[in-house]
Amino acid sequence: MAGAPVLEVRGLSKRFADRAGREPASWVIKDLSFAVDEGEFLTIIGPSGSGKTTLLNVLAQIETASAGELFFQSRTTPVDDAKSLKPGLSCRIGYVTQEDNLLPWRTTLQNVLFPLLVQRRLDSETRARAQSLIRAVGLSGFENHYPHELSGGMRKRASLIRTLVYDPPVILMDEPFGALDAQTRAQLQEDLLRLWSLGRKTIVFVTHDIAEAIALGDRTLVLSRSPATLAGEHTNPIPRPRDIRGIMTHPQFAALYQRIRGEVQ
Amino acid sequence: MTNPEERLAMPKVAPIRSGQYAIIAGRIGLAVALLGAWKLGADTAGPLYVADPGMVLQRIISDTLSGSLVRHVYVTLRLSAMGFAVGCAFGVALPFLLRRMPRLTNAVEPYILASVGVPKYALVPLFILWFGIDDAPKLWLVGLLVFYPIFIAVFAGIRNVDRRLISMARVLGASEAAISREVIWNSLLPFFFAALKIALPRAVSAAIIGEFLVGNEGLGYMIEYSRQNLDTTGVFAGILVATALVLAINALLLRFDHRLNAWRPVDRHMEL
Repeated sequence: MAGAPVLEVRGLSKRFADRAGREPASWVIKDLSFAVDEGEFLTIIGPSGSGKTTLLNVLAQIETASAGELFFQSRTTPVDDAKSLKPGLSCRIGYVTQEDNLLPWRTTLQNVLFPLLVQRRLDSETRARAQSLIRAVGLSGFENHYPHELSGGMRKRASLIRTLVYDPPVILMDEPFGALDAQTRAQLQEDLLRLWSLGRKTIVFVTHDIAEAIALGDRTLVLSRSPATLAGEHTNPIPRPRDIRGIMTHPQFAALYQRIRGEVQ
Repeated sequence: MTNPEERLAMPKVAPIRSGQYAIIAGRIGLAVALLGAWKLGADTAGPLYVADPGMVLQRIISDTLSGSLVRHVYVTLRLSAMGFAVGCAFGVALPFLLRRMPRLTNAVEPYILASVGVPKYALVPLFILWFGIDDAPKLWLVGLLVFYPIFIAVFAGIRNVDRRLISMARVLGASEAAISREVIWNSLLPFFFAALKIALPRAVSAAIIGEFLVGNEGLGYMIEYSRQNLDTTGVFAGILVATALVLAINALLLRFDHRLNAWRPVDRHMEL
């Protein structure tokens, strides 16, 4: 299932501008290199505060990097100059952030249609796609609700399909299910795998939950405590389709869990 | 006969209702008391100092029927609306322009803040000198008095926009223009409406004061002309009509605010 690398970073380092009068800020990410293949579901795991969100912000081109190179579809894109950043690389990298970041004055449907609207791709075909995604994640009947009228899980679903609706080839996800209860979370993980198996996008999924990283990913990268460097890499042997709720009883789960556990500090 | 639950439920409901009636009764009582105080003041101080409320009402009716009051109201409203439109347009547009130029913003910010401190009414003689005695000096006065509260609120509103929503909109492919229109404008609407609540009554007040000083039409002119003729009833009629005008504008604004900000989860019971 793996193709050519679609996204690659080499020697990526990041530190934030030092505050006046303080010592230079310490590195958040130090010399990090990895590649993501086309159609791959890559999970990245690391302890809290290990620079996972910063890494995704750099990949999404919201933030600059201090050093290193970023290749997207074998082309170099500048990462150290704020002016030349292209957030989302012209809609080719989608980003589902930790907070849902829905626009509070737009209803569910209007939020899902928002990327199509600003990309001038709003027509009957894309509208129908939005409607089918709303149905697929169980938001039917809530199209005209405002975000504050939805539960946390519903908001997450809305923010997820807001990215899926414009079909970017690569999607970054930052602990999207972190703040949810176990039931909702398992449901959303199943939804995500189902949607992924239909479209086979490239997904970079960041989490601090080892079980989630194993349940979802083709491959798992382990980041060290700050500054983030690569502490380990594991190819996931558990075949698909997977049973998310029963993943822990899979014979190969325990060994993989233990190996990753040893590297996450 | 009555079970304990009913007996418990009764006092819970009753005080709320009687409380509401008490508020309404209090409001009516206060209105009667104020009118009474006005009447008493008129009777003790004499019609030269405090006009009789009945006479004022009569004057308002007769002036409305003769058409002169309608004309004055129209002139003042037109002046307020034009000055408001210009001041509001600049007050909204300038912060959006400055947003694109952070260095220029930092450079001019102290000057803008200093210019807030200039008493605008003190500039009227200059305006008359520069722009003559037609509508122009009054428009400048109204425009400036409207511009500042709106400019300051919109400027603060833009700085207060959630950066994450802007980043998210960029990733989703929104242009800078689309971000201004969608994310920033909607985020600052509450700030904008707070400013309107100050700016709209100010526009009418400024127009009236402008008319005190220049011109021969409008509510301000009517009030000042009545004063010069020792016609205190006319002064009171003018003030009453001006107050009613401002209250009507505020009521209109509140409706508009409710409609535009219907998505907001809070603040529905917290308006002024």
